[in-house]
Amino acid sequence: MIRLEKIHKFFGDHEVLKGISGHVAQGEVLAIIGPSGSGKSTLLRAINLLEVPTSGKVCIDGVCITEGRVDIGKIRSKVGMVFQQFNLFPHMTTLENIIYAPIKVKKLPRKKAVALGKSLLAKVGLKNKANTYPPHLSGGQKQRAAIARALAMEPEAILFDEPTSALDPEVVKEVLNVMKELAHTGITMVIVTHEMGFAREVADRVWFLDEGHLVEDSASQTFFKSPQTKRAREFLEKVL
Amino acid sequence: MILLDFERIWPSVPYILEGVQVTLAYTAVSLCLGFVWGMLLALCKVSSVNFLKWCAGFYTSVFRGTPLLLQLTLIYYATPQLTGYTISIWEAGILTFTLNSGAYVSEHIRAGINAVDKGQMEAALSLGISYSLIMKDIILPQAIRNSLPSLVNEAIDLIKESTLISVIGGADILRRANIVASEKYLYFEPLIVAGALYYVLIMILTFAAQLLEKKLKTT
Repeated sequence: MIRLEKIHKFFGDHEVLKGISGHVAQGEVLAIIGPSGSGKSTLLRAINLLEVPTSGKVCIDGVCITEGRVDIGKIRSKVGMVFQQFNLFPHMTTLENIIYAPIKVKKLPRKKAVALGKSLLAKVGLKNKANTYPPHLSGGQKQRAAIARALAMEPEAILFDEPTSALDPEVVKEVLNVMKELAHTGITMVIVTHEMGFAREVADRVWFLDEGHLVEDSASQTFFKSPQTKRAREFLEKVL
Repeated sequence: MILLDFERIWPSVPYILEGVQVTLAYTAVSLCLGFVWGMLLALCKVSSVNFLKWCAGFYTSVFRGTPLLLQLTLIYYATPQLTGYTISIWEAGILTFTLNSGAYVSEHIRAGINAVDKGQMEAALSLGISYSLIMKDIILPQAIRNSLPSLVNEAIDLIKESTLISVIGGADILRRANIVASEKYLYFEPLIVAGALYYVLIMILTFAAQLLEKKLKTT
């Protein structure tokens, strides 16, 4: 469903991504891991063109979005994103955060959107927070609301950019649990994470990035039991 | 010995008071129009179209870089010469104050937009929302809230700057006080009355703004 071909990305003179190619199948859960500064987040953000690659192709469902004349808005509404810093809209209630895009982008009637929003809030355990403004939510609640917001567009894939890195340790689990429930329900998930336990348990596949290269692309079982590359072995020894 | 004689100007106080309406009319109308104009300019300044950016920047530099009094007299006296249209005091005043305040408002709102976390734009883009909707419903509401204190300052400045209208003959508070002064050969008393009126107007505005800010903070 997501295909990357020779993605290069420069920030000024600095090459952050050095020719990354890969493929994510429909319904697959992919974890992208690697040391800080390896280009994980940049790669993830290239998938919905929040970072436009300097060269290379990004294709989603066979449509190459890096080649002009593509309605990028339409593609983005098929690929949701969850951010490290949540990025909820602070001037809208939690429910409004969730139903805004379905109403304005997908032209869903308000009534239906509200019903959808409420069921999603229930799904992420925030039933009674519909009318709360995001500044009054805890970090874990914010991230769960952000996941509900992404789900409201009924996307085919969701990109998670270090979704638990800004959270207090004790609420990490409640967010991971919501993500676990999502996995293997047909939705494609690409997760940049430092939670190795979670990656091992939930991901089907792992991409290990180092210094802008995709060093290893393995099934998650294989990767954590017997990594194929020396660099990945070193990394795992340090973090596990 | 200093003699203060408020009694002699007492009958003229209602006349000066009528100036409050005039001052407020100039201020309120230019503030509203200047707000809309300034918001459009701010949108040009943050757009990715270099031509719009440059135009809005140049516009702002001209209106901030020349005296308001010069702008007012130029518009009032030169419009008939250039276009043949006899511009009224009211029109010249509103036009000048709007154009001038738009330049300042655009800077306040631009700063407000830049202060909105960049993640807001990214989150909205990732939901497939169009640029115009993002600006209207997500960025601007937060930007305006950010720039509210500066916008209140702009309103206060505008109340005071509206006194310039008296130079081209507008009968605002200050102009009326001066008329009373020259009629009665008394300067201190009418000007003090005028000063007190401006002070009260600005205090009311400041108080209202504080209430508004508090209310916004709680939501």
